[in-house]
Amino acid sequence: MQATTTIDPDFRGDPKQKDAVVSRQIALFAAFVLPIYKLLEAPSVLARFTGGDLLLPALLHYVFQTGVLIALLVAASRSEKTLFERLDEKLGKWSLAVYISLAAYFLFASILPLLDLEKFVYAAFFDTAPTLFSFAFFFLFCAFVCTKGIKAMGRIADLSLFLFLLPFLALLVMALGEADFTNLLPFFEYDLTHTVSAFSYTSPHFSDVAFLLPLIGNLRFKKGDGVKIGVGYGVGSLCTLLFLGVFYGLYSSIAWREHYAFSKIAQYFPALSVIGRIDFLFVYMLCIVLFFYVAAPLYYTAHFTAKVGKLRGKTAISFAISFAAFLFVLFCNKYYDAIYAFFGTRLFPIFLVFSLAPTAFLLLKKDRAKPQKEAPHA
Amino acid sequence: MREKVNKLRIVIPSKTHTPIVNKTNPNAQPFDKSLQKNTQTIKKLLPSEDILSYAFQTADGVDCTLFYADGMVNKELLGTLVARPLSFLELKERENEGGRYALNEETLEKTIRFPELKTVEALADAVKEILDGNTLLLVDGLQTGFIAGAKLLPVRTVTEPPTDVAVKGPREGFIEDVKTNMSLVRKRLKTPELRFETVRVGKRSDTAVAVCWLEGTSNPEVKAAIVEKIKKIEIDAVPDSSYIAAFLSPRPHSVFRSVGTTEKPDVFAAKIVEGRVGILVDGSPIALTAPFTLNEDFQTSEDYFVSPFMATIFRLLRFVSLFVAILLPAFYVSAQLFKMQLLPLGLMLTIASSVLELPLSPALEMFVVLFLLETLKEASIRMPKYVGMSLSVVGALVLGETAVSAGFLSTPAIIIVAFSGICMYTVPDFVETGSILRWLYLLVAGGLGPFGIVLLSAFLLYYLITSDNFGAPILAPFSPLNRRDLRDSFVKYNMQSLATRPNLLASPNKTRLRVMGGKKKKQGENDASDNND
Repeated sequence: MQATTTIDPDFRGDPKQKDAVVSRQIALFAAFVLPIYKLLEAPSVLARFTGGDLLLPALLHYVFQTGVLIALLVAASRSEKTLFERLDEKLGKWSLAVYISLAAYFLFASILPLLDLEKFVYAAFFDTAPTLFSFAFFFLFCAFVCTKGIKAMGRIADLSLFLFLLPFLALLVMALGEADFTNLLPFFEYDLTHTVSAFSYTSPHFSDVAFLLPLIGNLRFKKGDGVKIGVGYGVGSLCTLLFLGVFYGLYSSIAWREHYAFSKIAQYFPALSVIGRIDFLFVYMLCIVLFFYVAAPLYYTAHFTAKVGKLRGKTAISFAISFAAFLFVLFCNKYYDAIYAFFGTRLFPIFLVFSLAPTAFLLLKKDRAKPQKEAPHA
Repeated sequence: MREKVNKLRIVIPSKTHTPIVNKTNPNAQPFDKSLQKNTQTIKKLLPSEDILSYAFQTADGVDCTLFYADGMVNKELLGTLVARPLSFLELKERENEGGRYALNEETLEKTIRFPELKTVEALADAVKEILDGNTLLLVDGLQTGFIAGAKLLPVRTVTEPPTDVAVKGPREGFIEDVKTNMSLVRKRLKTPELRFETVRVGKRSDTAVAVCWLEGTSNPEVKAAIVEKIKKIEIDAVPDSSYIAAFLSPRPHSVFRSVGTTEKPDVFAAKIVEGRVGILVDGSPIALTAPFTLNEDFQTSEDYFVSPFMATIFRLLRFVSLFVAILLPAFYVSAQLFKMQLLPLGLMLTIASSVLELPLSPALEMFVVLFLLETLKEASIRMPKYVGMSLSVVGALVLGETAVSAGFLSTPAIIIVAFSGICMYTVPDFVETGSILRWLYLLVAGGLGPFGIVLLSAFLLYYLITSDNFGAPILAPFSPLNRRDLRDSFVKYNMQSLATRPNLLASPNKTRLRVMGGKKKKQGENDASDNND
């Protein structure tokens, strides 16, 4: 087997590979970055509406998202060019409208994660009362994240293998001993309206394909890429479902009150009373992935805005977007519950529409017979 | 004293000599036929007191003069092989030219019989050779200068480097002389594919910087980029290899190194064989290697001499220790200030009782203790050895013990900083960076608690994943992920599993070793290795 090389594509002077992501990175992103937000607030929301049936709306989300993901991968596999290149060719200047709408969508999609993260930070990192601006430093981080190219997102995905998997498994192992899976029984205890409510309220957490679109849209599809990404998404789904099962097995009827699930799932591990809350070390490791996840929509907004404006540097736009997000969080965090309810009851179709929208790429013309083997770079 | 032995070393003058002057430079002028005029010119160009001249005559009465830098040449050798044979030279049988006997280049070369002798035509070249430690011989009536390579430079003997001590494995270390260092590498890699290219850097120091690589194994793009970058350096002097490293870094303001360093020829040779490019700088015992990944800091030469299981344990130990060294003081502070749950109840009560009457806040206390540690460390390095014992007594007993009993500092803080200090030295190459990071983490822990720690970690990780160095990402093989290269990361596989060179180096020759009886390669697969192995 010929060995692949990881020498930086920029260094090799290959303009086609510049600022590119590979399928492995997208697969790892799907497996280990996407689930993190679902382990935060979604478990308590699902438990609030569906109790022990919390796996059902999650499964519905996954079925829906998997279908759209398959459609997107099929569309990507039909050409040697990237989806966005084909979009530019097909629509010409009108493709800017797509990018503008994507930029707007990701700015909109960043609202709940930011508000959730702020609340979570104050709950998990502080026993004392934090200052108003403690969370403000996160937006500096966001601005820094936004300034880099899409290649950086791919590398975050690579790193997430270590940052997510190790603490996730450690927390799960610590929680498993205390979990009682009979709490999940009986199945289908709640009627369909509860499931639909849970589905709508958790749409912001599960709109994965939209999150993957900027990465897949920049991928030069090769043979086997679809399987890799599909398996990655499958692993991420299994992690989430397993976590939801353990979480409800642990907390049962009070699960809906247990916010920020992954910071609490291991707290009843017996050894912690002796050695201290070492589970927080794992929680903090997961938080690094969570920070990247929450920064990702802002990153995508900056990315598409720069694309629309044909900007070479993204520094100014990155700081502007991050500052806007900071102001929003600063002034709107007190309306958290109202915003959450508004998203769950009124605005959730936007997430569904943007999750479904990538299927439109199927309309693009097919221009190759069979995808080739993966290019030797990372 | 490590530097006590001076040894004789005769250096061959560079055959591929590149004049530093151009036509517009007045120093490019040729020699005059008159020795007197030449002497005057050279003394004008080199007026320093340490540039000496020794005038003598041949038996026939022809004037000759030797020019050399005092303390840099072997005078005995010059006297025996140059001055004495010439002073006995008689050419009376030769044709008389204008009242003087003919003494041409051929006669002179036959007479002197010096092992390293070459001629120079321009004054500028001659001046450069004198400054480089060689000796210039000028003969009246000849427009050619003779360079005798009789350098006797004060060099250290090859000893074990103090910063990289090995319990098992080779103990030789580089010294300050680039030629000796090159020979130490050549001794280990006896292959015609080992190449050196010397670049002169420094307008004043004219330091030899030798770029070293293995032809057919190192990535030619990387080698070319390194040579190009070094050639572009414009600096007065290069006292140490760190000056070159600063110019090779894509992010000069970064706290993270972007070039590997080693003082051991065996490590250097191993990295060259892996496919890296090495840089040896005259005057520096520290060799550089590139591309560099952070993973290298956790590897030691001993890892390859012990079992892979032990090597894995050691590497994980280093990794954990480094994190403890950097993060422990910060977590201690943030646990006290922001998140007490991080500590078990018993420990929390102990700490609470010890800090109860302290006048300083936890962050300030830790800052003071850390400042003491850094000061003691700095002083112990700079201080003469005979007062070192006093420093230990003052540092450990007076400052530590008394500060605790006086209620100025708490015992846990001193224990934590001491442990952090010890842990830091498990990865010696990371000490400088680690110390800076420890301060940074302490600062954010005091202000933002664990949130600051995690946020700074995320920030640093993102900074690192976007750092590339000569085409190699600094966090490789973790990001971008490379499964094969992970075999020599925190987990060290056995030697047979490391049959290929690291992918990140993009070596044209992938094969490092072949296991006997192993699977034969298919025809045409990895031809480069077949050609080069």
